Amino acid sequence: MAARLESFFGFIAVTTSSDQMIDRWIPQFKKGLLEFIILLKLQEGTSYGYELAIEIMKLTSIELAEGTLYPLLNRLKRDGLVTTTWQTSEVGTPRKYYEITASGTETLEKMKDYWTSTHTAVLKMVTAK
Amino acid sequence: MKVTFPIESTLAQKVWNSFERELDHKLRALPDLAREEVKLELLSHLYDSASADSAVLEEERFINAIDRLGAPGDYLEPLVEEIFLAQGTSKGHPSAVLRSLLAITRKGIWHLALTALFGFGYVVAIIVFIMAVMHVGDPDVGVWLSPNGSVSFSFEFQPNATQWMPESFSAMGIAASVALYWLLSQMLGRLIGKPSRDK
Repeated sequence: MAARLESFFGFIAVTTSSDQMIDRWIPQFKKGLLEFIILLKLQEGTSYGYELAIEIMKLTSIELAEGTLYPLLNRLKRDGLVTTTWQTSEVGTPRKYYEITASGTETLEKMKDYWTSTHTAVLKMVTAK
Repeated sequence: MKVTFPIESTLAQKVWNSFERELDHKLRALPDLAREEVKLELLSHLYDSASADSAVLEEERFINAIDRLGAPGDYLEPLVEEIFLAQGTSKGHPSAVLRSLLAITRKGIWHLALTALFGFGYVVAIIVFIMAVMHVGDPDVGVWLSPNGSVSFSFEFQPNATQWMPESFSAMGIAASVALYWLLSQMLGRLIGKPSRDK
């Protein structure tokens, strides 16, 4: 009985600690990935926050609180990887368009190289038994 | 930029106003221009998102859109922190100045040159400040003018040279270095926190 209880509580402890680890790991992983994905999208053309959020969720199936894009976009702007322009008209919502800069494109190329070199290796490790 | 978003139902307007008040509250510490820009961008997002929502009632569409944006603390706090970095730079906080200089270097070759210029300015300000303070205990520390017209900042006596304003060097040096540090920080703060262009 004691051994069963120990095994049961041990299972709970492992589950809880792995859940905590995943809860910590996923946001960190997503954050790094999102900057890469935002730049990939902006390489295709200028876009605004809402459109980016919708496109990213549609293409990647990443569950995203849409607001969390804005601190990332702001940081990309601060780092000079994107620039912004307001577009307002008589009719319709005013939109702040983001455009990738030369420095952003250069950074994106390096990100792509790094992604290509690491993802194959990681995939091999993930699928290896 | 003052924009009015067309909302039809009273209840939806209440939901909108409540969200706008929350934004005002959470962004209250920001300078006016930065606050208005962040607010307008989020309200535009909310309006677009609600317009694309399939719920029948307008207020429900706004509630769903607010929900999709996520917890305001999760996105507004990092945003405010980013903008404060620019403010901290303007106020001359050393860590904010260093982070801003690093951020500018990443913007490209011209910005790298600009960073070098700013960096040089800060180094001059700091050296002049140190020399001005040291001059109080050691009068030989100061600016020396040699007969051939060259100027040197020296920590020791320079033979055949005349010291520039030895009586008032400490006061002038401290005032000039503080003024230079303040001026550079203002310029750097404006550069890093430059608002978006209008089209």
